[in-house]
Amino acid sequence: MRAQRADRQALTLWVIAALVSVLILGPILVLFRASVSPPGTLPFDGWDLTFEHYATIFTRADNLRLAGNTLLYALGSVAIGVAIATGIAWATERTDMPGRVGARVMMFSWMAVPPLVMGFGWILLINPGNGALNALAKNTFGLTQPLFTIYSLWSLVMITALAVVPTAFVMVSGLMRNMDPQLEQAATVHGASGAVIARRITLPLVAPGVLSVAIFMFMTVVQAFDLPLIIGLTARIPVLSTRVYLLSSPDAGIPNYGLSSAFGVILVAVAALLMWSYFRAIRVSERFRVVTGRGFRPRRVALGGWRWPLFAAVLFYFVLMLLPLAMLAWASLFPSYRLPSFEALGYASLASYARVLDMGSVQRAIGHTVVLVLASASIVMALSSLIAWFSVRGRTVLARYVDILSFAPTAVPPIVMVMAILLLYLQSPLYGTLWILILGHVTIYIAFGTRTMGAALMQIHKELADAASISGAGWFTGLRRITLPLVWPHILNGWLWVVAHSARDLTIPLVLMTTGNVVVASALWQMWDFPDLSGASAVAMLLVAGLLMLVVPLQIYAARQSDRGH
Amino acid sequence: MLDKVSFDVAEGEFFTLLGPSGCGKTTTLQCIAGLEVPSAGCISMGGQTVFSSEQNLMVPANKRDLGMVFQSYAIWPHMTVFDNVAFPLIHGPRKAAKSEIASRVREALARVQLDHLAERPAPLLSGGQQQRVALARALVHAPRLLLLDEPLSNLDAKLRDVMRGELRVLVKSLGITTIFVTHDQVEAMSMSDRVALMRDGQIVQIGAPRDIYLRPTSAFTASFMGHSNMIAGTMQSMGVAETALGPLRIDGATQAVGAKVFVIARPQSAVLLRGAAGGGANRFPACIAGLNFVGDQIEIDADCGARHLRLVVDSYGDLQLGEQVMVELLRDRLVVVPHDASVG
Repeated sequence: MRAQRADRQALTLWVIAALVSVLILGPILVLFRASVSPPGTLPFDGWDLTFEHYATIFTRADNLRLAGNTLLYALGSVAIGVAIATGIAWATERTDMPGRVGARVMMFSWMAVPPLVMGFGWILLINPGNGALNALAKNTFGLTQPLFTIYSLWSLVMITALAVVPTAFVMVSGLMRNMDPQLEQAATVHGASGAVIARRITLPLVAPGVLSVAIFMFMTVVQAFDLPLIIGLTARIPVLSTRVYLLSSPDAGIPNYGLSSAFGVILVAVAALLMWSYFRAIRVSERFRVVTGRGFRPRRVALGGWRWPLFAAVLFYFVLMLLPLAMLAWASLFPSYRLPSFEALGYASLASYARVLDMGSVQRAIGHTVVLVLASASIVMALSSLIAWFSVRGRTVLARYVDILSFAPTAVPPIVMVMAILLLYLQSPLYGTLWILILGHVTIYIAFGTRTMGAALMQIHKELADAASISGAGWFTGLRRITLPLVWPHILNGWLWVVAHSARDLTIPLVLMTTGNVVVASALWQMWDFPDLSGASAVAMLLVAGLLMLVVPLQIYAARQSDRGH
Repeated sequence: MLDKVSFDVAEGEFFTLLGPSGCGKTTTLQCIAGLEVPSAGCISMGGQTVFSSEQNLMVPANKRDLGMVFQSYAIWPHMTVFDNVAFPLIHGPRKAAKSEIASRVREALARVQLDHLAERPAPLLSGGQQQRVALARALVHAPRLLLLDEPLSNLDAKLRDVMRGELRVLVKSLGITTIFVTHDQVEAMSMSDRVALMRDGQIVQIGAPRDIYLRPTSAFTASFMGHSNMIAGTMQSMGVAETALGPLRIDGATQAVGAKVFVIARPQSAVLLRGAAGGGANRFPACIAGLNFVGDQIEIDADCGARHLRLVVDSYGDLQLGEQVMVELLRDRLVVVPHDASVG
């Protein structure tokens, strides 16, 4: 009888372990192999080993500049982005600022806006030639030089900082919301004013948590690819991630997979180091743990006269966020680009939308995208739920192995992972199909899925599953009837997250692109590059609209739920 | 860590595992349930072996035909009361016929007086109602063994008193064999046929509640089961221990002469005499150093010179603070146990 039960569970675990090994370990091993292969060969060509690529990297002077750029880029955008996020999180979670529910919905819904689209919008706004804001400044103040330029390190930093804010906000607002109100009440009782409490109690208490958020965001920015690609390359500011891409997909010449892999390995090492410090920081903030369980809501600070100034500041941030979208919306209305003005409004039409929707390539891209996001999200959540179940409940070595392995992609930047996937599957029939994109997205999003589901399952009291077992239900029945229904909202939420990220991602579709597997994100990139400005703008708006329709209703519901009881 | 835990439970018996937290009582119950796997040993139920390390046999929890009430009640929040209770009939090894399920669930709910709440979603139940649903779910499929893991500890004091009586009456009327885990000695004594007292993964004493309370065999049992005065001493001769209070005579003491012992004197084991003469066996003068009227009795702190004794008398006594009395420890109420440095 022991065998009977053990078999079904163990078999499932073995299948998962095998799947995850192929999915994650495969590309990583190929990456290491490729980084020590002689130039001009593919990783499977022979058995020769060389450290030439590493030697090249560490001896060439311009690589020092590359490292400097990357560091400056990541540090700058994270510092600015996390500071803004912390301020807004405090305003929405701990004060009576008007419009806080709306602000939270905006922040949580922002994952529907691809960084790619934001980048395009900013290029239209502040490019030195005919950027709309530059033109406005010229006309208003009579300037002869453009006021801003998109093609500089500081523009890249600022735009990335704005893009960092929503994710950082989601993490920091969680910290703020779970704070024990008694710590602040104690300060009130002992005579402190609101401002003093914020400065002397609230901020120091959340500081370790915010630091760990900052490290996490730093890791994300080092791995970021979209914005450095569309802004940084024109500005000639290469960072590590774009360097990896250019080496493996050069505009001219043959790809240098070896050198690119060596860069990739270094990037993995950097990310692993950051991940290690992230966990260290989390451990420190655990000691400051201000989360004391459920059943309370922190009291809100009454802002008094400061309510509206704070509201205006938050509103200004949202205007900055929406400006590039509005710019793209404008550009999508005119077959040939016009600067925003009231006179031009008379010529606005939806012709570009009709045109792109009539294009066979766009229709195919939309179909591909639907299949890609649905398949990726469903596979990721199914696999993650099982992996998380085994790592939370199982105590075997194999369960531990699967748990660690599924977390590993966090330390592998998507641009590196996708290059490794390219190397691994280049000569297989999968290459060039939509399936390789699905495989890529499953690989890079599985870490998110397992962490989300792990946290969700941890909250489910073990006795709930035990009770099913005692009642006579087998392992699978218990999972199907009790455990999974209980974590269903988390599964749905995670599924939606993967859908949004899979739809907006450019990294995987771009590197693995062939004529047969173009999706909306890669079609958008091609049209922009062509250039078909109005067509690209229309496609971008369609993509954002489609994602918003999916994401916003759920976020409104969730925000209402969490504001209740305040 | 459990060590040499071995006991038999008779059919229809209400058996209790009692002990402080961390003593291994819940682990023992989980082993019986099949939720934990012991590293070695053997468990059998009604003649069927369900676990044996020698035969490499492990019947999983869902095949053991059990009912269990968990400490958290483990009521599934995504189901109604009816669905919760019907679960063992639908998914258990002894599935009920479709037509039968509704009537059996109603019957089980009626047993715990909840038949009017069948369609209520589980999260809308109070703590006491959840506990009853858990009980109905544990009994609906008429399991051969009912396991109760501290089912009363999450209820408020008044409800706990009511449920204590109801629970015992219910399982006794069904004649179902029950193993009950608790850290509360009052629950253990008032509900059980027999109690096994555990400490550090071992069973210290098994017996009827009365025996365990009145005839402890160790200092730990005496100190865990209610209040007692533990008077350190040395056996002087057969049935006489030399203590700080003088020689004490104890009926039925079998310890060897010279053995270091505790003489256990329950607060109820003494009589207080006013104006009586000194001398005589187990009799010594004392001063009333503390008086605490708690309603159903009076707690007294008696200063006997060499040490204080904690005693109780009934509420109608009119002793005064500072009064001089004679204390007599009744020899048939005293118990001698081996000295144990770990128990104060």
